[in-house]
Amino acid sequence: MRRLSGRFRSSLIIGVQGIRARKLRTLLSMVSLFLGVLAVVVVQAGASIAERALLADLELTFGYDGTRMIGMPTEQKAADAVLASVKGSSSAVASIGMQGIIGEPGVRPVNEGGSPIDQDWGGSQVCFADGHCEGPTGPKGAAVELRLTALTGDIRQFRPFRTVSGTWLDFTTVPSMAPRLVLNKEAAKGFTRYQVPAEMRVRGASANLTPRFIGVVDDGSGEPRAYVRSDELATWLPPGKLVDPNVGGEINVMLKPGSPVEQVLRAKLKAAGLEMYVTDVNNRKEQEDQLRLMRLLFFSMAGLVLLIGVAGILNVGLATVGERVEEFALRRAVGTPRSLLAGIVLAETLLTGLLTAAAAIGASALALKAVVMLAGNSHPILDNVQFPWQAGVAGILAGLVAGILGGFIPALRAAGIPIATVMRA
Amino acid sequence: MIELTGITKVLKGQSEPRTILDGVDLWVGAGQSVAIVGRSGSGKSTLLSVIGLFDRPDQGRYVLAGQDISRVPERRAATLRSSHFGFVFQRFFLLKHLTAAQNVAMALVNGQGWLPRRERRVRVMEALDQVGIAHLAKNRPAKMSGGEQQRVAIARALVRDPQVLLADEPTGALDTETGTLVIDALLGATERGCALILVTHDRDHANRMGRIHDLVDGVLSERVRA
Repeated sequence: MRRLSGRFRSSLIIGVQGIRARKLRTLLSMVSLFLGVLAVVVVQAGASIAERALLADLELTFGYDGTRMIGMPTEQKAADAVLASVKGSSSAVASIGMQGIIGEPGVRPVNEGGSPIDQDWGGSQVCFADGHCEGPTGPKGAAVELRLTALTGDIRQFRPFRTVSGTWLDFTTVPSMAPRLVLNKEAAKGFTRYQVPAEMRVRGASANLTPRFIGVVDDGSGEPRAYVRSDELATWLPPGKLVDPNVGGEINVMLKPGSPVEQVLRAKLKAAGLEMYVTDVNNRKEQEDQLRLMRLLFFSMAGLVLLIGVAGILNVGLATVGERVEEFALRRAVGTPRSLLAGIVLAETLLTGLLTAAAAIGASALALKAVVMLAGNSHPILDNVQFPWQAGVAGILAGLVAGILGGFIPALRAAGIPIATVMRA
Repeated sequence: MIELTGITKVLKGQSEPRTILDGVDLWVGAGQSVAIVGRSGSGKSTLLSVIGLFDRPDQGRYVLAGQDISRVPERRAATLRSSHFGFVFQRFFLLKHLTAAQNVAMALVNGQGWLPRRERRVRVMEALDQVGIAHLAKNRPAKMSGGEQQRVAIARALVRDPQVLLADEPTGALDTETGTLVIDALLGATERGCALILVTHDRDHANRMGRIHDLVDGVLSERVRA
């Protein structure tokens, strides 16, 4: 052990001396290797950032990994059970979806059916239990239809909505008579394009509401949506009208793992003769194949570039060993074992690889910082992006692998130099 | 200390094998100095290579400090070179990017055990002091004369306190006066119990050794002094 430690230290000391003595050659080796290591670092950083962005988009829509999502039939009994179960809970949030139209009364909205603002899905019919159906009536006017989601708590603990402007719903204050709405980006686009009166129609409401827009968020949805406190909406919706099965509403509950609400809700729904459907959000697993393929493709390309760098370091290494034949023979003459000579050469190429890796990682981190500073505002994917540690690890590994591959053959050559070289000189 | 009996070395790989050393017998004790003289190509350097474990004899017995090392494997040979031998060559083989002290320390940083930096420094300065150039410790070879460089090489050979000092034409590249200083430094080591085997063409330097051996066509014989 002690002998190994002595050899390790010796190879490091002599390796550093060798690098200092041949600064230009070391620099040339680093230049040839730099692009290869940089490619690996950039690919890893890009893959990590893309993965993070992909997951972030999925989290916006489906929630963080590990979140338990409970769905159930759209019935008033279910809504009552949900509201009673999640009341006062910090580990569960219920969302009840319904259609709403904001704008001029008595007109058809510009996006019938709650379609994206630039698309037209056409008006949808609402059919009742007695068999009669109602379609869109009246002329198109200054009104926007959107999906209204009533929330019992802050859903951002499960779905990380990004605030675009204004503020998010405050659930700690007294409910307002004029419901406060937070729009998503598509809904905000509609209201930016069309000047509409502040009057909201919700099926089953006792009267038209006067909404207040307090903020805009990115929720990952391409359809116009608005989020509202369920208690503020309930002021205008009489009991039993929160859910309208005729217009395809939705009731969902998002829970933290292990939340006691699940058991309570299950019991209440069972008592009401209703079923619930539980799923665990696992975005990463679902995207694994896609991410793996993406990484494989990019790493193959980076590997090729790295190989060229390895060839460069190998070339310089062989030339250097050729120049140092007498030095290595002399070292053998003073008792240096062959293995240490190989170790000296490997130490030099490994140190060169690590120095190059450090340079490539530093350059990538600085470049990413510059890109984020310059383009972070216009590209949300770059917002608050940090240099991923995985890219640093990949760079160091690439530097080490390149050092070993590039130094292996020169190390063997160095170990094979005969001592008699010094006698014949 | 060193006992060679019937050492034979044959150079193969040519049309006809050539015998370089032909049954060489040699005994050198601690503190003794021996000169080996002979014409170019007579096998002097080959003999030194065999003694210094750079090369193995084809036949014969080599005993070093009581141990038969005639067929010693390379790893053990490296250890023995480090622990028992010091080498001085005609060319100084100093690494130009290192200072005199670092060149001497090279023999201590050879993977055969580990000395702390402070201890290394003490031993390097002692070795440089032995050859009278401690004041040049921080100089690089380019700033030293040939004699000074050879004395750095001698210090490098002495820094591990070798039992045997092997010198192959150490004054070949030096003028007479400087050569004499170098031989003085080598003989100084024998006063501390180190055996010295000197290969030389120079009659005056050979005459300063305790014994002179002539090597003619691979056969070694001791010269009888008048």
